[in-house]
Amino acid sequence: MSDTHTKTATTATARPDSDMLILVKDLYKIYELGHTEVRALDGVSLNIEKNEYVSIMGPSGSGKSTLMNLIGCLDTPTKGEYFLDDINVAHMSDDELAAVRNRKIGFVFQTFNLLPKSTSLRNVELPLIYNGGIPADARRSLAEEALRRVGLESRMLHKPNELSGGQRQRVAVARALVNNPAIILADEPTGNLDSKTGEEIMTLFDELHAAGNTIILVTHEEHIALHANRTIRLLDGKIATDVRNGDRLKG
Amino acid sequence: MKHRRYFFNENLKIALAELWANKMRSLLTATGIVIGIIAVTLMSTLIAGVDGLFEQSMKFLGKDVVYIEKWPWGGGEEWWTIRNRPEIDMDLADKIAEWSDYALSVAKERGRGADLTYKEMKSEGIFVNGVTANYLDVSTVEVEYGRWFTEPEDRTYSQVILLGYEVAKALFPNEDPLDKEVHMGGQRYLVIGILAQMGKFMGLQNMDTRVVIPFNTFEKNFHSRWGMRRIAVKVPPDHVDEAIEDLRGVMRILRQQKPDEPDNFAVNQQQAFEQQYAMIKYSIGGVGLVITALSLLVGGIGIANIMFVSVKERTREIGVRKALGAKKRHIKGQFLIEAVVITGVAGVVGLLIAAGLSWVVNEFVFPARMSFFVAFMAIALSVIVGVVAGWTPARQAANLDPIESLRYE
Repeated sequence: MSDTHTKTATTATARPDSDMLILVKDLYKIYELGHTEVRALDGVSLNIEKNEYVSIMGPSGSGKSTLMNLIGCLDTPTKGEYFLDDINVAHMSDDELAAVRNRKIGFVFQTFNLLPKSTSLRNVELPLIYNGGIPADARRSLAEEALRRVGLESRMLHKPNELSGGQRQRVAVARALVNNPAIILADEPTGNLDSKTGEEIMTLFDELHAAGNTIILVTHEEHIALHANRTIRLLDGKIATDVRNGDRLKG
Repeated sequence: MKHRRYFFNENLKIALAELWANKMRSLLTATGIVIGIIAVTLMSTLIAGVDGLFEQSMKFLGKDVVYIEKWPWGGGEEWWTIRNRPEIDMDLADKIAEWSDYALSVAKERGRGADLTYKEMKSEGIFVNGVTANYLDVSTVEVEYGRWFTEPEDRTYSQVILLGYEVAKALFPNEDPLDKEVHMGGQRYLVIGILAQMGKFMGLQNMDTRVVIPFNTFEKNFHSRWGMRRIAVKVPPDHVDEAIEDLRGVMRILRQQKPDEPDNFAVNQQQAFEQQYAMIKYSIGGVGLVITALSLLVGGIGIANIMFVSVKERTREIGVRKALGAKKRHIKGQFLIEAVVITGVAGVVGLLIAAGLSWVVNEFVFPARMSFFVAFMAIALSVIVGVVAGWTPARQAANLDPIESLRYE
């Protein structure tokens, strides 16, 4: 791992490839503001394979958030194609997208976004509730297992306000893991944490990656981005650089 | 179907937790619904109770009996005009029997209050009925024990008496009343019979606290012109209306009324009661409905309002749920169920309060029992209010954009 080698984003093939988890081709997101046209995403193409660890960077207004929302199936593109795990999700309805989010994507947010009145266990169970009728006891054991994976077996019945920031983010990671998603999509996961706790969370992500998960990090902090083994930089709605990180920073 | 129940159960848990977390707010919001449900159930129960009472009371009167009296039952004319009418002359009874083709039997009836004593036992405020022997034709009175008096006994002013069920019980707790002498108004009467238990007329006038003596005996012993006096005419049941018209004509002739003069008497029949009763019933029902509709409307608006607040407050939660895979119908269901749980709980609370009040009325005023149908309707109504009130807020929640909701502070 001595030399850093750079390569441009592979051109998206028209046919979905079974090794490709994410296949984005000519993705546009255009907002009409009165008479002016704002191109939040201006023809983005990229591929992400299984078990990749990717960070997406870029200044505000670069289209970073828009790309994350599209990859996360929270939004649909103006034009372009997006295959997630061989499913074309670019033109799906809201409810179809909800089902895809539920089964394929595990979200980790900057502000944790836990339900404040619910215990860790209930919070982690939440994606399972919307996953087509998993019985309550099965849900519970799956949620317990996920919480154990993030090291919170002793905090299962605590509510978010009884947990530290790092513990809250661990609950959120457990929630992202519980449905065994195709990708874990983390939006500034350390943004609300002090640097030590942030590093702990990043170590957790490193471990999850080592265990075979595909992880996409959206961040503006270089040292966080360096945990990933590939960094995509956006500028003005376009991919500026897409590099493999030779020497990954270990937590 | 299985999925629906699954989400119903999940949403019910969320709704109950949410209600518990906002106890005070939920309680205050639900008050309007509680009042509405109390109004509608209590009103229905009371009307049903009064209905039963009325039906039962009407049996005392008989469908085929017409009463000629000074005072009309239905009301309508001015009090002062009626007040100035001549009293009914009981001697007219014989003429009516003779002249009217519809009069199958004509009984005279007078009445007033009196006190009754037997040895040291005393029964106060008893209603004394003086009736002719054929009174049995025009009333539902039955002799339980002993015998009725005869026409000759009436003609000869016999001092005989029949006791109402409760009078007999009060005066003769441990004795056989038959052939005993009771005292009333300075006179002695021989007890010849006990009347069968009848209950209360319209829930108020107790028909079992009266005594019956022969008409002529009454006229002889009670001189005052005060008190109830009427002529009861049994008519063919199929020709009640014609009979009433005929009796009016006969009375006008007997009283020598001029053609343009209004009747100076009343020909009363059960129908008059029914009409007046129906009017009272519908006014009570109408007022009840207005109160119900208003409180449910105001309550429903309150629920809708609190649901809008709840959607607003929980925008972020909605965003999280949507991000994690909740579909529109899940979110919509969640808030609809929350609204229905509030109104449903309010409905049950209202129902319990109304049941308590019905019990009080039943114990102390008149028979009133809440039917299962009324209870069911009340719950159904509160559920409907919940669905209607929760619909728009729930739809608003379901249509929220997940990205914006997640950003909502």
